[in-house]
Amino acid sequence: MLAILRDLLKYNLEFRIGIILVGIVVGLAILSGFSPYPPGDVYVVPPDVPPSSAYWFGTTSRGQDVFWQVCVAIRNTLLFGITVAAISRVLSLVIGLLSGYKGGWIDRALMGVNDTFIVIPLFPILVLFYFVMRDSMTWLMLAMIMATLGWAYDARLIRAVAMSLKTREFSQTAVFSGMTTREILTREHLPYVMPIVFSTTMNNMNWSIGLEVTLSVLGFTDINTPTIGGMIYWANQHTAIVAGVWWWIAFPIAVVIMAFVGLFLLAVSMNEYIDPRSRLSRMGGGAR
Amino acid sequence: MSGPVALHTPTTPVAGAALASDPVLRVNDIQAHFRTQHFGVSREVRAVDGVTFDVRRNEIYGLAGESSSGKTTLIKTIAGAIKPPLQVVGGSVQFSFMPGYPGLHAAPAAEVERVRWRHLSYVMQGSMNVLNPMRRVISTFQDFAWRHLGGSRKQFEERVVAHLARVRLDPAVLRAYPHELSGGMRQRVTIALATICKPDFIIADEPTTALDVIVQKDVLGMIRSIQQEMGSSVLFVTHDMGVHAHLTDRLGIMYGGRLVEEAPTPEIFSRPLHPYTVYLIGSLPRIGDDTPRKSLEGSPPNLADPPTGCRFHPRCPLAMEVCARQVPPMVESLPGHRVACHAVNPGAAA
Amino acid sequence: MSEPLLRLDHVSKTFARGGFFSRRRIEAVKDLSFTIAADKAEIFTIIGESGSGKSTTARMILGIERPTGGSLQFDGLDVGALNGHADRMRFMHAVQPIFQNPFEAFNPLKQLDRYLFLTARRFGAARDQAEAERLADEALRKVGLSLAEAKGRFPHELSGGQLQRVAIARALLSNPKLIVADEPVSMVDASLRMAIVNLFKALRDELGISIIYITHDLATAYSISDRIIIMQKGEVVEAGDARAVLAAPQHPYSRQLREAVLTPDSPRALAS
Repeated sequence: MLAILRDLLKYNLEFRIGIILVGIVVGLAILSGFSPYPPGDVYVVPPDVPPSSAYWFGTTSRGQDVFWQVCVAIRNTLLFGITVAAISRVLSLVIGLLSGYKGGWIDRALMGVNDTFIVIPLFPILVLFYFVMRDSMTWLMLAMIMATLGWAYDARLIRAVAMSLKTREFSQTAVFSGMTTREILTREHLPYVMPIVFSTTMNNMNWSIGLEVTLSVLGFTDINTPTIGGMIYWANQHTAIVAGVWWWIAFPIAVVIMAFVGLFLLAVSMNEYIDPRSRLSRMGGGAR
Repeated sequence: MSGPVALHTPTTPVAGAALASDPVLRVNDIQAHFRTQHFGVSREVRAVDGVTFDVRRNEIYGLAGESSSGKTTLIKTIAGAIKPPLQVVGGSVQFSFMPGYPGLHAAPAAEVERVRWRHLSYVMQGSMNVLNPMRRVISTFQDFAWRHLGGSRKQFEERVVAHLARVRLDPAVLRAYPHELSGGMRQRVTIALATICKPDFIIADEPTTALDVIVQKDVLGMIRSIQQEMGSSVLFVTHDMGVHAHLTDRLGIMYGGRLVEEAPTPEIFSRPLHPYTVYLIGSLPRIGDDTPRKSLEGSPPNLADPPTGCRFHPRCPLAMEVCARQVPPMVESLPGHRVACHAVNPGAAA
Repeated sequence: MSEPLLRLDHVSKTFARGGFFSRRRIEAVKDLSFTIAADKAEIFTIIGESGSGKSTTARMILGIERPTGGSLQFDGLDVGALNGHADRMRFMHAVQPIFQNPFEAFNPLKQLDRYLFLTARRFGAARDQAEAERLADEALRKVGLSLAEAKGRFPHELSGGQLQRVAIARALLSNPKLIVADEPVSMVDASLRMAIVNLFKALRDELGISIIYITHDLATAYSISDRIIIMQKGEVVEAGDARAVLAAPQHPYSRQLREAVLTPDSPRALAS
């Protein structure tokens, strides 16, 4: 694993840039633990101070330090994205692999559920959830809801790969070597769908973060937990741009864009590395 | 890659007399290697390592070889399909109709465009590579051949129909989509496509391998009759020795990226000289023949790390001390019969 | 006569293709019957071209496809209705496959030896890893290899011929009574082909394993088969003793096949 990281760092520019960007973002998220003020408190510093040596990113109209707010917000936003991605990856892997390998009625049943989730209009559903649940709508709750809505498309992708893997002769060799279905899926087929899982993880994080920001900006989330979207919501409430408090909006947006681009570059470079074909040619089996 | 033609003096004592009869293709000491670099692991696979041969006018030249013999790479090189990681490292591929360029890979696009289909055409294993699955067969003919043949749409179609009759295809196939045709019919369409402009040279790469045996025999017969009618030269590549015996005029045997033997086809079968060829022919089972067949021991060479000297020596029953040391030169041991083997040509090495 | 090892009784297989409105039925195998005796090992060859139903037959015998008609019995088991893990394991213990493409028969990303050890432990006599290694070595030696040559290797590091030997060794590890080999040499170099084919003979003679050899190649079929059937479009057109049938085929289709075989000494009718 370390050798892979070293190789990637040495030979892949995208990976280097991605690591630096994600590193900065994660660094900020870690710094949130050292925040001198509780993140929810207001009027702890003088309001509307532009970026300066005392307040690097300036302060908000609510008397909060933008730097520490951004740190806490990006931590929550990243955690949110990771939670959604992790849960929905597990769902799409299990359902996709099983559906593609087993076929028959299992496939039809699972894909029936899957297609229902694909056609459900996401945004109205999320807004509906908010109005129904109101105060009990914590970010963890939102993450669970988005995870259950965000696996379907990727499960179809994984199912397609699993179906083609099933017809390859080595899957039959595995069966006739006495492997169980679970072993075949986890040991024989999983390595082939890992590139999909990796790239969709990054995509899924970008998707869920983007949606969370959108919902927060509109005020359809728990606005008392600071997130990037929540910050923008409060900035809008105080007409920050009109008032000339641009730093209140600019810094959270800059950080979330860094996270987006960094995750994307990591996905691209790791994909190239983990792809079975490129792996094979590195092992010396490519040119035949 | 381009530049003046590198006219090497042949490093091997190629007989002048046999080659004098106006070759259409002259391959001179061609070397094509795969060079890959993946995350710091660099490899060089010497897939074609110094191959020299000529294809004369109006002959079917066969090229035989097994896995890792380099025949696929050689064909790619001759067809100019050089894409990284494949690189031409040395030597030249000269066509008589394209003077001044050491190969298609080194010629400008306009020149390649000029000779393609008009002078040089291809029949590949998968006919779907040529036939667009979304278009009717007639459209593919129009795309490839109309600008070379000219004439009105009607005249052109009449010509295509007349040509299809040569491969015993009904004109109705022109209105069909490729998937509506059987494998044998599709391959006959690609043969018609490859020959309609009466090209000087046709590269046929395993064109019958995917076909059933009965269809194969039929298609081979068609290739032969069209070739004779048009006077084209054909470079016919297959691993199937039975097909070579049936069709080709001269035959080159490849092993480990090099040509090891070349002779008129009947002579290769009746009088093989290279120990590898002897094994290759001797191992073929025949119906009605109950003598036990022996297979070759060992494995094909790894071209990323090929054996020194003669690449066959680790598996060769006649291997001598010199074989591991020196690459055997290609020598004309009998008239028109070239062999690269120290045991067959003692003292040939310089 | 005792109960045969394998009995196909009027087996047929129909596939339904196409969408809702244009459902076409393709009869891949029609009314196929034959038996393989339990007391005498033999090489039973199924000859056919693409679309003859020979591969579908192989898949039905292996329990991968279920017949849509007739019955398929192996050693008291109804292969067409294998249900449950225990039944399947008992079946695979006695019937093992060899596939066409040796480069595809093993996961290209995984080491070869794990399949050998797995088979030895799940179906063979091995109870621990050391025993599995010993048995794997023993099986590999039967096919002219040794564990040292295969251990820790990836499929691309071996030649097609070697891989096909490893595949046979793996099949042997479960001590099968029947091996179903679907075009096992069509993707192996000609110079290595006979070694594999001769190996099947040795399995029959020395280990008493019956082999169903499925091929389109009449020449290798001639050199090893005891009995053959020739299939065309799902139906058997000719059956009988291999040498007799191939030396003097009776059915027009068999004759056509026989004449299309190109060998070095077949007449160069096409040459100028």
